[in-house]
Amino acid sequence: MNAAKRRARRIRGIWTAIGAAAILLYSLGPLLWIFIASITPELKADFNQAWLSNRQVTYLPSEPTLANYGALFETVPFATYFRNSAIIATGNMVLTLVVASLGAYGFVRFKFFGRSSFLVAMLVAYTIPSVVLLVPLLVIFRAYGLNNTHLGMILAEATHSAPFVLLLMINYFSTLPRDLDEAAQVDGCSRLKVLWRIILPLSLPGLVAGGLLAFIMTWNNFLFAFLLTSTAEVKTLPVIMRQFALGEPAVWGVSAAGALVSTLPVALIFLLFQRMLMSGLAAGAVKG
Amino acid sequence: MTTDIADTRNPPIVRPRRKRRIDLLPYALIAPIGLLLAAITVYPTIQAVYLSMTDASLLRLARAKFIGVQNFVRMMGDQVFLDGLWRTLRWDLAVVSLELCIALPIALFLNMNFRGRGFVRAAMMVPYITPPAVVGLVFLFMFDGNFGVVNDLLIRLGVLERGIAWMSDPAASFWIVVSAMVWYGTPLMALILLAALQTIPAELYEAAEVDGASRWAQFRSITIPHILPSILFLVLLRMIWMSNHIDMIYVMTTGGPGFTNHTEAIYSFSLTNQFQIGYASAIAVVLAAILMVLSALYVRHLARSVLAQTS
Repeated sequence: MNAAKRRARRIRGIWTAIGAAAILLYSLGPLLWIFIASITPELKADFNQAWLSNRQVTYLPSEPTLANYGALFETVPFATYFRNSAIIATGNMVLTLVVASLGAYGFVRFKFFGRSSFLVAMLVAYTIPSVVLLVPLLVIFRAYGLNNTHLGMILAEATHSAPFVLLLMINYFSTLPRDLDEAAQVDGCSRLKVLWRIILPLSLPGLVAGGLLAFIMTWNNFLFAFLLTSTAEVKTLPVIMRQFALGEPAVWGVSAAGALVSTLPVALIFLLFQRMLMSGLAAGAVKG
Repeated sequence: MTTDIADTRNPPIVRPRRKRRIDLLPYALIAPIGLLLAAITVYPTIQAVYLSMTDASLLRLARAKFIGVQNFVRMMGDQVFLDGLWRTLRWDLAVVSLELCIALPIALFLNMNFRGRGFVRAAMMVPYITPPAVVGLVFLFMFDGNFGVVNDLLIRLGVLERGIAWMSDPAASFWIVVSAMVWYGTPLMALILLAALQTIPAELYEAAEVDGASRWAQFRSITIPHILPSILFLVLLRMIWMSNHIDMIYVMTTGGPGFTNHTEAIYSFSLTNQFQIGYASAIAVVLAAILMVLSALYVRHLARSVLAQTS
């Protein structure tokens, strides 16, 4: 009996290990591959026989190198693109957090005329696809001089991040007991002070999740960056990925290094705030 | 006595006066996000509908003429648009069904108790935080005709004699973009399914065990019915966003080879890049109108849960 049980447990353990290995391979394999490519020294392509697989596929580079990472900053304005991505994603995060937490406080804690209509209107605004917004945003931004500016990009990205974070904050605020607000009001806090002193500090995990998800969404988005920017002064990392995909510059090792470096910030954010982000994602309904 | 206490809690003189005045604070609180969305979403949407009835081009925007429904008539005879409907549906179905087929086993697996589960779950999420443009690049790299790892492995296994230029083959390029998208989208689906699985009370399974129900029977009559609403919600959500998706397809193929990967969203986007913004808007508006039924279901679902939370 005991032996049979132990055997059953061992078999289960083996299956679990196989399953876990499969998930790890599936999820990390492609990135591992791109990492290997990024540390492989560039072989000279043999243009006389380009088609007949002149370049060996290297699984374990014998002389790993960081030269591709250096080339990334020398041959491409990678640092500028990186800076632009950082400015736009951070700006969007701040804007989104401010408007969404004010709005969520209004919706969750107050009864007022037109409340549910306003709320539904915001949900409808949330479901309007970016494809529809692209052209008019381009036209409007041109008229107001917002085209090819960081501010314009921040605003454009807010079309999806602001309603998303609003939903997330509504979700979060409504879990906080009302007694807290009432107690604070009895103690003489104004209603705005209640938001500042009670609601926001208690919602810190929600704010972190909402803000960082807005940051990641903006960091990753290609569409607006491609259409609403025209110079390297404003273009973001996903745009350069498209240039890499078109084979410019035609050095795969450098492209691979660029792909990894532009994933790094979001990967770090995710690792550090994993728990909060996952519950935020599971609770919210993500666009895109 | 009790009435006295009630009276001190609600001083009858102050309360009614307060109630009669309109409280402006909530409006002030929702004003920033309301005005923001009005400016960047509502106004542009109106503009999009207007543009769709003009022959506007980015090159001569000031001289755009109102041409009524001509753009919509043009669509009816436009083969790229008409085929695009099927291409969009094919793209949606391929991505959503494959995502579901991979996400469900992952979610079921992660719902078990084992050592290192947290780590595997975190690793599982990695594709989702990788920027889609990077995912596209990675997949292009793996399927490259000259030094792609896929060709190399297939040659080593003896399946192929020599490498294939995958991305110039219409069918292959479609499926490669689909796999890139599926790889990117699976984690979110698995995460939401996992959240649904974790709400199933363990007693249900214990009771079924006592009744002698097989594993498969438990799965069919306990697990599936419990997570079905989440599955339907996810299918709805993904269908809407996949129909509108541009990033992955455009980065990897620019919609080609030929028009193979021209979904309606891509068609509208490439027209925009060719400055034909009137016609591009018309296609985007038609796409949104077709998806309206799905979007309405989605808004209703969201509205229900949000209104339930806030009241």
